[in-house]
Amino acid sequence: MAPKAAALNPVEMRLTGGMLALNRLIMTFQNKRMPVAGLSVGRDGGGMRATIVLDCPPETARRYAALLSGLEDVERIEVPEDTLEVALLKTDTERWRESAIRAGIEAHEQGGTIVASGGPERIEPWLSSLEVEDIVRLGPVARPGDGG
Amino acid sequence: MENTAFRVEYKPRTGSEAMCEALLDEGVEHLFGYPGGAIMPFYDALPDYPLKHILVRHEQAAAHAADGYARATGRVGVCVATSGPGATNLVTGLATAQMDSVPLVAITGQVGRPAMGKDSFQETNVVGMTLPFTKHSFLVEDPDELYPTMRRAFEIARSGRPGPVLVDVPKDVQFAACDHNGYRRLREASEPLEGPALEAAATLLLKARRPLILAGHGVTLSGAEMELRLLAERTGVPVVTTLLGISAFPEDHPLYIGWPGMHGAASVNRAIDRSDLLFAVGMRFDDRITGAVDKFAPNARIVHIDVDPSELGKVVKPTVGIAADAKIAMRAILGHLDEMEDPDGCEEWRAEIAHSQEPEKRREDGARDEYGPIRIMAAIKVAAGEEVRLVTDVGQHQMWAAKFFEFTKKNSHITSGGLGTMGFALPAAMGVAFAYPDESVWVVAGDGGIQMNLQELATIRDFGLNIKVAILNNGYLGMVRQWQQFFHNRRYSETPITGPDYEQFAASYGLSGRTVREGDDVEAAIRWAQEQEGCVILDFHIDPEANVYPMIPSGMSVHEMIEEDGA
Repeated sequence: MAPKAAALNPVEMRLTGGMLALNRLIMTFQNKRMPVAGLSVGRDGGGMRATIVLDCPPETARRYAALLSGLEDVERIEVPEDTLEVALLKTDTERWRESAIRAGIEAHEQGGTIVASGGPERIEPWLSSLEVEDIVRLGPVARPGDGG
Repeated sequence: MENTAFRVEYKPRTGSEAMCEALLDEGVEHLFGYPGGAIMPFYDALPDYPLKHILVRHEQAAAHAADGYARATGRVGVCVATSGPGATNLVTGLATAQMDSVPLVAITGQVGRPAMGKDSFQETNVVGMTLPFTKHSFLVEDPDELYPTMRRAFEIARSGRPGPVLVDVPKDVQFAACDHNGYRRLREASEPLEGPALEAAATLLLKARRPLILAGHGVTLSGAEMELRLLAERTGVPVVTTLLGISAFPEDHPLYIGWPGMHGAASVNRAIDRSDLLFAVGMRFDDRITGAVDKFAPNARIVHIDVDPSELGKVVKPTVGIAADAKIAMRAILGHLDEMEDPDGCEEWRAEIAHSQEPEKRREDGARDEYGPIRIMAAIKVAAGEEVRLVTDVGQHQMWAAKFFEFTKKNSHITSGGLGTMGFALPAAMGVAFAYPDESVWVVAGDGGIQMNLQELATIRDFGLNIKVAILNNGYLGMVRQWQQFFHNRRYSETPITGPDYEQFAASYGLSGRTVREGDDVEAAIRWAQEQEGCVILDFHIDPEANVYPMIPSGMSVHEMIEEDGA
């Protein structure tokens, strides 16, 4: 059974600065014992973006977001309604199409690689139900929009 | 370089000069530091500026002195160290400041940019090392960024919830020519606060039958002592403080009832247990206050005001949470109270508290004439007067001072609360003494903690600081010994501790000292110390096994409180 969606709360941030900002962010996760269930970091036209998924009640996630918003490197922060987990995978079986539909996951094949996306609470159980040869998790990103 | 157009010699601005000018522009008067290889260009520029540098004898003391200066003045304290060991020695001081929300700027030299990342001589990643206990940190690699970064560091240190900011500057950046990049303030001045939560807080405060105001360090940090007093007097609600909130409210005020927690007054702990409303302002429900959180204030609704929004709900869930500066929030609540009808007040509640305080007062009164901490604290207060500032270290003496010294002057109690840093008091007192050279500054320390930064007597002597030191010498690491007595069957493992003959030690620094034992005239010794010019050490030999009461064992509640020997 998939975990309760309410337990996974995405927080998306736009960071100024580079490695030091990221270092401070991760140190803060550890320092404050934040229940980080997922982390993805990327860089785009808007600078550095970090998305975390916190495994805690929404109220606690909002408090952690308030704490993170106090960091000087955090330019913008958002607790989005929805999060998208993207995974690239290879599998020998063909049953991924049916199971993806049953699990409510968007999936298609492109150049021999299956591109799957859905809520983090759906993706992981679905992946573990398949016989997967290889997976690349792109991590959680906020949906919709470009984050931050 | 020569300006050929005007034939005027033009001296390029260096990074070091930009650093000094930023300090001046921030109104800095005192810096506490220790030079070394990687910070030499800064020290080379320093004499050309009207900045007073205090050469300490250990970098840890520089950080604590800057901390003491900041706590006493409300301004940003500044400390300076070189790279490597100089920077690592600052760490305890930075962590102390971070835990107690004290605004500091620490400037460290770093090896030159070409040498960074190569395990060069005296290279450490001080920015990485201090990430968990700085509010922010900078490694400035662009000389043109030095001036604005320094200004920004000060702004970050003092804004919102204050804290320490580290600025790490490679040696070649200090040497490099740079332009003045200007500076724009980050934040606007705070605006008056409005919102339904404020009215709700005011209503709860007036309607409660057994309310308490619980004031913390945030009251002092925001300079909200007057608002706290007005709020208490307007409502008649009794006031308790945290350890760091002591002296935010005058202790001789009839509404002050003491401070709670592990070693707080039993009557205050019981009052919290009975209260139906805790109006908590500028405090963070530290575990030394709450003990077992699920048993803390079980009957109370909670109004929690803190400038740091992430503190709201961190430990206890507030009925009303207000993320705001203590002064602004209390002013707004006072405004709402003006429009409200006063119910019957809480006269019965105050009478109940007064009744529960009687046994403690009897015990204290009985001990006032005995040789020991109560008598020593009372004698210091009498000799030093109302204006004295007391700086304490960490341990049993800290609790005795907090309990038995009656703090009536605002912001006159300075101590390391959150981190509990032994060795804090003597250097922190230096900072206080530089801030207020004409005021009386006393240190109360144990014989363990005082030895951790005793080298600073040389700094104190060099600058002729008028600091009086009272050592409560029990030959033990007293608080640890007390825990060993209670919880480890009196196995005093590594807690007996020796020290120097403090009279001779003081004399070796050209200072005065005196040993005081049971039977000696405590008051005369303290009067004598007060009358001497400059620093004096009084070494009070006290009962080795005197304990601090009450004591709530760690993680337990008021119901497990140990109130006296054999209890």
